[in-house]
Amino acid sequence: MPKPVLLHKTGPQLVQEVRACIGCNECLYACPALAEPITIDVLNRETMDGPISAPVARFAWSCYQCGACVAPCPVGLHRDAMMMWLKVRLLRSDWEV
Amino acid sequence: MHIDGEKGYPLFFFSKSRAWVTSTLFGLLIIVLGGALYIWYSHTSNDPTPDSIVGFGYAFAGTTFLILAAVLYTLRRRSRRRGIGQLHTALQWHICFGVVGIVLLFMHSFGNFNPRSGTFALYGMIALVISGFVGRLLDRIIPRLIADEVRKALTAKGEDRIEAISQKLEALVHHSTEEIRGFSTQMPAVQSSTTTNAPPAGERTTRSLVPLRPASSKELPFQAPGQSLHTSWDLAYISLEETPQEMSRNAAQHRFVPDKKSTLTRPGALIPGAQEHMAALENAQRALQREQFYRYVIRYWRIFHVSLALLTIGLTLWHIEYALQLLIPTLLHR
Repeated sequence: MPKPVLLHKTGPQLVQEVRACIGCNECLYACPALAEPITIDVLNRETMDGPISAPVARFAWSCYQCGACVAPCPVGLHRDAMMMWLKVRLLRSDWEV
Repeated sequence: MHIDGEKGYPLFFFSKSRAWVTSTLFGLLIIVLGGALYIWYSHTSNDPTPDSIVGFGYAFAGTTFLILAAVLYTLRRRSRRRGIGQLHTALQWHICFGVVGIVLLFMHSFGNFNPRSGTFALYGMIALVISGFVGRLLDRIIPRLIADEVRKALTAKGEDRIEAISQKLEALVHHSTEEIRGFSTQMPAVQSSTTTNAPPAGERTTRSLVPLRPASSKELPFQAPGQSLHTSWDLAYISLEETPQEMSRNAAQHRFVPDKKSTLTRPGALIPGAQEHMAALENAQRALQREQFYRYVIRYWRIFHVSLALLTIGLTLWHIEYALQLLIPTLLHR
C-alpha cells in the first residue's frame, strides 16, 4: 500500500497542473463529494484566482481528499491537491475580510 | 489573493442535495414501517422471536439492504459509465441502506442478545455503521485541519515556506560570515598599530620559527624563493617573539568572546534574527508532520471501515449457516 504523501502543492506547481488539465471531466465523474453540476473550466479558473462561486465553494468544503479523482486522470494530475489549494484560499479569505 | 465570492471554511456545514433528501425520506419511510410492524407484532403475537415469520422477514430485509449498501456503491465506483454527481448519489444511498439495514436487523433480534452467532453478527454490523458515521465526521473535520496546516506550510504568495525560510537563513548566515571575514582582514592593521614588530597576517603561524630573518630581508642564496630557514643553527637560541599559542590567544576575534554572563552568549546573539527564522522553520516542519498524520487518519479509517465490513460479512455468513442448521430440520419435519 502506498504511503500517504504530502499532497499540497505550491503556487507555481498548481498553475502548471491547472494548465496541464485537458478538461475531460474524468476527475469530476469519479468524485463522490460533488453533488451539483460544475464544469471543469469554471473549477480550474476559480481554483487559481478570482472570486469563488457558491457551488465551487460548496464542492471545496465537501471534498474530503479521498483521492478518487487521481487515478482516472489521463494526464496524471492531482485534482485533490488543486482542491486543497481551493480550501486554503477559502480559509485565508477569513483573514482578508 | 483577493476573493469577492464565497468566503471562509466552516468546520460544520450542511448542503441539502436531492440525493440526500430522497434517500433520507426513503430510509425514514422504511424505518417507520418496520417500527410500526415491530410494535404491532410484539403486542399481538405470542412468539416475538428472531425465528418467527416476522423475525425472518426482518432478517431477510435487513441483510438485503446491507448487501445493497455494499454492492451498489462498490459497483458504481468501479463503473465506467458515470455522470457528474452520480457517485455522490450512490454514496447517499449507501449510507441510507446501511442505516436501514442495521435498524431492521436490530428489530430482527427482538431484544434477544444471547451470546450466539447472531448477536456477534449484529455487534459487527453496529460497529460497521458507527465506523461509517465516524468516518463521515472525520471526512468533514480532517480536510479542514489539513487545509489549516497547508496554510501554515505555504507563504501568502503560495510558495513553500520552508524553502523561503531556508533561503532567508542562508542569506543571514552568509551576511554574518562576510562580516566576520571583513573583521579578520582588518586585524593586521590593528595589530601593526599597537605592536611595532608585528608580523603580516599571512605569516602569523610561522613567525616565531624564523627569528633570524627580518621581514624585509632578501632570500638567502641557498634558499628556494618563498622558503624560510625554519630552525636556527644555534640550538641555544631562544626566540623572544610570540609563540603561535600566544598569538592565537591575543588574536582579535578571540578577545571578543564574551563571558558567560554576557547577553552575547544568548543563542543567536551573534546572528540576529536567526532564532526567529529557526522557530518559523520548526513551525512549518511541524505543520507538515501534522498534515501527514491527518492523511494517515483518513486513509486508515477507510481501511478500518472496509475491514469491519469484511468481518461483518463473515459473522453474518456464520450466523446464516448456524440458523439454517436449526431451520432445515424443523422445516423438513413439518
